[in-house]
Amino acid sequence: MSAAPSAHDVCVIGGGVTGAGIARDLSMRGLSVLLLDKGDWGAGTTGASSWMIHGGPRYLEFDWDTTRLSTQDAGYIVSIARNLVYRVVFLIPVLPHDRNNIERMETAMEVYDRFQPLKKAHPHRRLTPEEAHRAEPGLAPDILGAVTMEEWGIDPHRLVWANVEDAIAHGARALNHTRVTELIRDAGKVIGVRYRGADGASSEARARVVVNATGPWSADIAGMAGVKVHLRPAKGIHIVYPHRISNFAISAESIDGRDLLMVSHAGFTLLGTTDDDFYGDLDAVDVLQDEVDYLLQGFERVFPDIRRYRPVRTTTGVRPTLFKWRKYEDELSRRYEVIDHAREGVEGLVTIAGGKLSMYRLMAEETSDAVCRKLGHQAPCTTATTPLPGNESEMEPAAELAARCGIPALAVVKLQSRHGSRAEKVLDAGKSTRIVCRCEPLTESELVYAAGHEQVRSLADAFRRVGVAAGPCAGAACVLRAAEIVGRELGWSASQRFEAARDFVQGAWLGRAPVLDHAGWAQEELAQGAFRGLRIG
Amino acid sequence: MGRADSLAKLAWAYGLHQARRRVSRPKSQLPALLDTYTREGIRPLTAAEYAEHPRLVTCINCGLCAFAATRMGKTRLPDLASSYMRLYARVGDAASDLAAESGAAEPDFAAASAVCPVGLPLADVAAVVRRLTAG
Repeated sequence: MSAAPSAHDVCVIGGGVTGAGIARDLSMRGLSVLLLDKGDWGAGTTGASSWMIHGGPRYLEFDWDTTRLSTQDAGYIVSIARNLVYRVVFLIPVLPHDRNNIERMETAMEVYDRFQPLKKAHPHRRLTPEEAHRAEPGLAPDILGAVTMEEWGIDPHRLVWANVEDAIAHGARALNHTRVTELIRDAGKVIGVRYRGADGASSEARARVVVNATGPWSADIAGMAGVKVHLRPAKGIHIVYPHRISNFAISAESIDGRDLLMVSHAGFTLLGTTDDDFYGDLDAVDVLQDEVDYLLQGFERVFPDIRRYRPVRTTTGVRPTLFKWRKYEDELSRRYEVIDHAREGVEGLVTIAGGKLSMYRLMAEETSDAVCRKLGHQAPCTTATTPLPGNESEMEPAAELAARCGIPALAVVKLQSRHGSRAEKVLDAGKSTRIVCRCEPLTESELVYAAGHEQVRSLADAFRRVGVAAGPCAGAACVLRAAEIVGRELGWSASQRFEAARDFVQGAWLGRAPVLDHAGWAQEELAQGAFRGLRIG
Repeated sequence: MGRADSLAKLAWAYGLHQARRRVSRPKSQLPALLDTYTREGIRPLTAAEYAEHPRLVTCINCGLCAFAATRMGKTRLPDLASSYMRLYARVGDAASDLAAESGAAEPDFAAASAVCPVGLPLADVAAVVRRLTAG
């Protein structure tokens, strides 16, 4: 044990989007906050999501208020994080024997249109089979028609970091790669945490309230205080393609009738997701070949060419779904619950459980309200209207910034999608316009900035923060270069740079192996050649 | 508001929808759909482009084509397939990267494709990227 414990109003455990949102909210209300995550920001459930801020048309069958709330909050997020969001236009084809015919689908969309203005989305359109094929030539020939629906896509990794960054700007202390090992208790009351930092050193922090925002790990943290959080964790996987596949995002039905989505993003397509009860180790979740086949089978029915495309990797995560007996996984509500464990005799501990990415801001607001009530602190939430970093002013046209800084306009487009109006500041900080990762494309300046200002401690962190090695080459062309640059900024020795590259390649392989096929093997051989000498395996 | 209430309201909406369909003559909504999203920088592939599309996105960014042909405009040839071809929206914002200087020769796409380990038809990639960036 080293220095004297630090003292805070609130300690938030868990640096996913909800924990980061809570840290931002509370620090903006003037409280001193410590935010801890055992891994990197957004590396758990948040990063494994479908990258969607959606309004929740599925709730129309259950509760229109939830749709309204969810849509309204999506609208807030779109307003405060303009650089991070993409308009995602879904084309929902209707096939023979589908659960819903075209009239029922359009009815649902007509109702959903009433909520769409809340998130700045356009109303639906209805297409005949011929029109649907003109709009989306890859659709199956036997579709009966289609309707469209608009949602928003988002880069969840940057969304989490933007919240962490803003929390820090408002006085919070935020430590990633820092594992909470114990809740400190005094006569039953939780009064702080013991944690082990990235350097292996143990420390203590005192807090008047500890917030457990650890998603599927919530039960573990609550268990440290002797209380239970009852979850029904559900595993989900996505297949990631490093390019666009279709003109529109497309929905499909799996063999067991679940809704599947193929979502087009800036430079990626995500195909998902599965939804299965999970009983295993939350820190070692593998993707199975069966799960990949399940998704491809479902999509092949509406998009027959899907197997002609080369996935670059898979993602997997575990949803912190609230417990419910006698329901199929897909029927479980995505609702959330703020639990004050004082009712179980443990003062000073609050858990936020359940929920989904789309409603993270609202979840953070309600959790922060609960914390403020406990502390007798009166300050309103301002996160719905205060822009996240990079959204304080309009972005400069990409071509103009590119010409002035001497980088490709495409690199500026990507830079702005991560940093918004702060793009030029990022370029200035690194002082090198060399392109490190050509697929993205990513400048050396941005990587230097991420290492110096965005808490990048490994190449996997750099992958999340700035997309290094995220593209078609899966790192073959850039991992070693990135290791040199990050290593130089963080003071790594030659062997540490080597180990960092090796660790990244080994970690990435776990997500890539389940989808290697045909052209994927050609890419893999190239990667193996590039990494020759790392002695992987 | 419970499930029964929600289902009742959906049933009412369904009745209204069916009545509207009976009395009004539907007109094509495709032009409005494409116009809305093209204005926002989301540019669809044509049917002809789509037929070739799976072959156009197989780039593994090995860089070999750069030895056979260098640049299109200011853009290195491998980047056409590994970066520009990927983008779903906002690709038009990068049009300046592809603008050739007057009198500049077209890259030797055939030579570049000949050395590509995955057989990427780079001339076709360039044509699609040009069309998407031009709008």
